[in-house]
Order: sequence, then C-alpha cells, then structure tokens
Amino acid sequence: MKLFVKIFLWFLAAIALMVGVIIFVTRTFQTEPMVSRFERSTRNQLTVYSGTATQIVSVEGEAGLRTFLNRLKDLDTRRPVSLLAPDGSPWFGESIDSPQAPELIDRTVSSGEVEIYFSAEDRSLGAAPVDFPNGKRYVLMFSWERQPPQSLFWGSTPGYIRLAGLLFTAILLCYLLALYLTSPIRKLREATNRLAAGDLSTRVAGRVGNRRDELSDLARDFDGMAERIESLITSQQRLTRDISHELRSPLARMNVALEIAKQKSGPESSSIIERIEGESARLNDMISRLLTLAKLESGAEEVERGRLDLAEIVRDVAADADFEAQAKGKFVEVSKADSCSVMGSENLLRSAIENVLRNAVRYTADRTVVDVALTKSNGHVVLRVSDHGGGVPEQELQNLFRPFYRVGEARERKTGGIGLGLAIAERAIKAHKGSITAKNTADGLTVEIVLDRVEN
Amino acid sequence: MMDKILIIDDDEELCELVSEYLTVEGFEIACVNDGASGLEAALSGKYDMAILDVMLPKMNGFDVLRSLREQSKLPVIMLTARGDDMERIVGLEIGADDYLPKPFNPRELAARLRAILRRSVAADDDPGQEAIEVDDVKVSPGSRVVTLAGTEVNLTSVEFGLLLELLREAGKVVKKEDLSESVLERKLSPFDRSLDMHISNLRKKLGVRADGSERIKTIRSVGYIYTVV
Repeated sequence: MKLFVKIFLWFLAAIALMVGVIIFVTRTFQTEPMVSRFERSTRNQLTVYSGTATQIVSVEGEAGLRTFLNRLKDLDTRRPVSLLAPDGSPWFGESIDSPQAPELIDRTVSSGEVEIYFSAEDRSLGAAPVDFPNGKRYVLMFSWERQPPQSLFWGSTPGYIRLAGLLFTAILLCYLLALYLTSPIRKLREATNRLAAGDLSTRVAGRVGNRRDELSDLARDFDGMAERIESLITSQQRLTRDISHELRSPLARMNVALEIAKQKSGPESSSIIERIEGESARLNDMISRLLTLAKLESGAEEVERGRLDLAEIVRDVAADADFEAQAKGKFVEVSKADSCSVMGSENLLRSAIENVLRNAVRYTADRTVVDVALTKSNGHVVLRVSDHGGGVPEQELQNLFRPFYRVGEARERKTGGIGLGLAIAERAIKAHKGSITAKNTADGLTVEIVLDRVEN
Repeated sequence: MMDKILIIDDDEELCELVSEYLTVEGFEIACVNDGASGLEAALSGKYDMAILDVMLPKMNGFDVLRSLREQSKLPVIMLTARGDDMERIVGLEIGADDYLPKPFNPRELAARLRAILRRSVAADDDPGQEAIEVDDVKVSPGSRVVTLAGTEVNLTSVEFGLLLELLREAGKVVKKEDLSESVLERKLSPFDRSLDMHISNLRKKLGVRADGSERIKTIRSVGYIYTVV
C-alpha cells in the first residue's frame, strides 16, 4: 500500500480511537456523579415545593392549593404532578401506577421528608409530604422519564453537525499531514529514479520545500551523493576520453615511423613490420571505438534528428557486411525489410546496426547466413539480427552490452573482437530511446533492436 | 618539378616524420605548426597542396579552410579525428578535397595526395577538352569551371571530378566502384561513406532543378545517376 494511504489511514484511525476512548470514559465515569448531583437538586426543589404547598393549603385552603398545583404543572411540563392521599388515590392529577409508588408514599407519610426513587431503567419518582390543616399528610408525587443519555454525535441535528465537523477536520488534517510527510519522499524517489536512469545532474534539495527536518536532511544528503557520483562518472568519462585522445598522437607518429622503417629496411624484416602495423591498426581501432563510446556515454554528441528510412539503411549496411562476410565464407541476408521511418541520427543508427551485424558475422559458423529482418508493428520497428554461432550462456546475455565484456576469452581473441561493438550499439540505440536485447535461439544468438516508428 | 606540400599540424614530431616519409616519396614538404601562419603560408601561392589538421592552436582547421576558400582553390586534405563524423562532414562541406582520419596510414596519405594532384594537373595539361553541358549545368574540364545557369559554382576537386564523371554518363547509372576508382583513386571499401558524403555536398551546391526534381539520384547499393529531363 502507498505510504500516503497508510499514514492517512493510521492518523484517521488514531483520531477515531481517541474520540471513542473519550466518549467511553465520559460515559463510564461521569454518569454517577451526574446522577447524584441531579438527585440533590431534585430533592432541594421538592423540599421547597413541599414547604410551599403546606403553607398554601394552611393559608388559602384547598382551592389555593389546586391553583398552585396547576401552575406547577404548567411550569414543570416534564414532570406529571399528582397529589396523592396516603392510600394512593389522587387528590390532584392522575394516580401513579408505578409498582414503587405505594412504598414510596408510605415512606414519605411516615418520615415527613422528601423521598426519591431513582431508576436507570424506567420512571423515577419523587415524593414530597404536604400536611393539610386537617392533620392529614398527603404526598406530592412527581414522576419523570429517565432522560436517555444524549449521544454526542448521533440522533440529533447538533450531533450530526458535530460529527460532520469532526470528520471533516480529521480527514483534512490527516490528508495534510500525510501529504506533508510523503511529498518529499515522492520527490526523492523521482529524483532517485532519474539519477538511476542516468540523469546525473538531478538535485532535489530545492524541491522538498523550506523545511528543517530529517527529510530535508535526507534530500541534502541525496544531493551530496548525486554530486559525488556525477563528478566520479564525469571524471571517469573524461579520463577515458583524454587517454584515448592522447594515445592517438603517438600512434599517428608510430604509423609514419613504421612506413619509414619499411622504406629503409630490407625485405627480411618486412613481415615483422607488417605485424607491428597490424597491432597498431588494432590499437587504433580500439581507441576510436573507445572514443565513440565515451562520447555516446557522456551524451556530448547531440542526436541530431532527421527522418530516416530505416529499411534503406539496413539494406545498405547489410550489403557492406555481406561483402565483408563473403571474404570469410559467411553471408548476410536481409530476409525482410518493411519500409519504415524513424527519427534519429543516421550516423549513430548506421554504426549501431553495423556493430551488431559485424558482431554476428564474427561469431556465426562458417558457411552460414546471418539473417537480418526488419519488421514494423504498431508504433515500433523491430530489427532482428540472428546468427548461427551457438549463442552464449543464458546468464551472460545481459552482460553482452558491457564494454570489454568477453563471453569466452579464447574464442574472442581468435575472432579478433575487442568487446566494444555491442556496447557502442547499445549506447547509440539508447540515445534514440530504443531498446536492444539479446536472446538465444536454437543454434545462435538473436539481437533485437526496437525503435519508435514515425508515420511514413 | 617536385610537388610542394604544406603541412599544417601542431604536432611537430609528426610533421618531421611525415616530411621524412613524403620526401622519400618524392614530395617537397614545408611544415607550419599553427593555424594563423598556416593560412598565411597556404595563401602565399608557393604550394601545390595543403594537409590541414583540424585541431590547431590559434585558429582551428575549419576556420583556416573557410578563410582559405574565400581566396584560393588550393587542394586541401583534412586530418580529422577518427570516428568523429561531424568533423568529417563539416570539413567536406567547407570545401576540403578529401579527408583522412588520424592516425592515418602514410601510404594512403601519399596515394591521396597523388590522386588529387593528378586531377588538378591533368586538368591544366588538357585544356582542349570540350565543355559538357547538361541542361543548366556547364562544366569545362580545361578551366575546371562549373557554371549553374551562368553563375560559377565553387566545387572541390573531388566534387568536380564526380560531377564530370556523372555528366559524361548523364542519364546512365555510374557505379560507386567506378566512381571511387576514377575520382578518389582507391577501391571502394565496405562501410566507407565518403563517396556518399561528397555526392551529398555536390547536391547541396547544385540545388534542385526549377521543377524541384533531384539532379543526382542515388541507386541504392549500385551507384548514382545524373538525371536527364
């Protein structure tokens, strides 16, 4: 799961849990004190009613009491008010049919005090004594429904508003927090990918925003690392380039000196001079390939893009390669060449195809044909070059495109390769945003180049 | 009379060696080690040909060649960095007669020098040749002047040679192998694209016909044809 989603959900869950715990604790530990507080205030109120009612009945008589009780009933709507005789029959209001009523009446009559019956489940009752002038003790009885504890978030409009407010705030906060934590990570990841893809100039510290925490430290560390890698790689590339370049001057002189030696020496040393010449040519070839490779890797050579007819180039290069191959008793054949266009540099593509073809010719068995097939599919062109050279071990396949990589030392020496051709081809194809892969077939190796096609 | 060759290269040791070699081969050699004095020497009129390195102090080979071409048709062979296609293309476009990637084989250098010299000398020795005219292009082999609809076109000796061959066979395909041997005086080798490059420069200089059609057409892996309307 995405880190963003994780952080978001975790914080949301934490907030929900906290709210839940608070509600639970409030319910469990605050209900009792609230009840006793309520009981006390009820008792006080009833005591006042009791005194007032006794006073009124002694001064104003029964009619005055009725008026008072009616007023009380109007005032206190939630509590049905009844004045009961000691036997439970109503003098005012309705009779109370709660099972607790008779006992409560008895207690009040005998004690002359306010008595309250509290129940969490059903109706609660409150009884206050009212002494009539005739000496009879009546009981003023209140009964009320227990108020269901009001849910904080449910069942009422303010509750829903509270719930919506809480949810909105929680989600917004969690979203912002998750964003704050993960967006620099996402940027770091993008930067890492770009760096891995070869864009060594990638830096990220300026992009994670103005923050001072571990993530910005990480971004700065990343930049330090990228800078180090960049300087290492560029210096390595520069070294390769400079060495190759500097090697050329002495080589050029050596070539001329060799010719002079040839002019001056007798026929007896000509074979050894030719040998030296051959080695110098090989050195020369290697250096120019190294330079090409260095140039491609540093990206110094801008790929100038033009529309190219790939089929034409392939046929052209294949014809040249065939000419070369025939001298060694091998052949190159173009079995299929769909007409198709690509955008790119003709020189680079030519050299890529040439290197792949020459490599195939080098390894294919004597009197076999290197097959070249150019096919177009939706949006792509695919060039397959298949030889009959026995292929390479499966685990070596992805190493084929590394510079100076040799599958078999002895085999390579004999065939005269220096292990740069495929590396150059790979860099050239990559510069065109294409791909180059190798796979084994029944009796050889197939190198496949895929490039983006443009409409003819 | 010995042909006088001017070498413009900052590698003094190489100059010495090349001088030694080419002297034995029958050339007279002078060396200059930087671009500015190289240009001066090339313009002095004392030389039959120049060998010009691209990497030069003070003034690089391309600038030397560009300035030289403003005033002189002195044949020039450029020494380019091996594997650097851009240098090669730029050099030929500015007007080098041929190029040789460095490090080069001195035997090949000598052969190319001779080929280019022979062409320019052959033209001078043979003023009687008739001018060839195909539509609006007129080539006078004697004076080595090419005019396009009356205005003179500046061609290098290789381009001139190619155009002459193609016009002689106008309307017919001229094989690459034959062109390479008759004009460049060397066998066509696989993966060698210099002929294509010379032809493409020639095309640029001549432009297309008024109706937009190409003058020189490529016949893939065979050769070229100068089309006739």
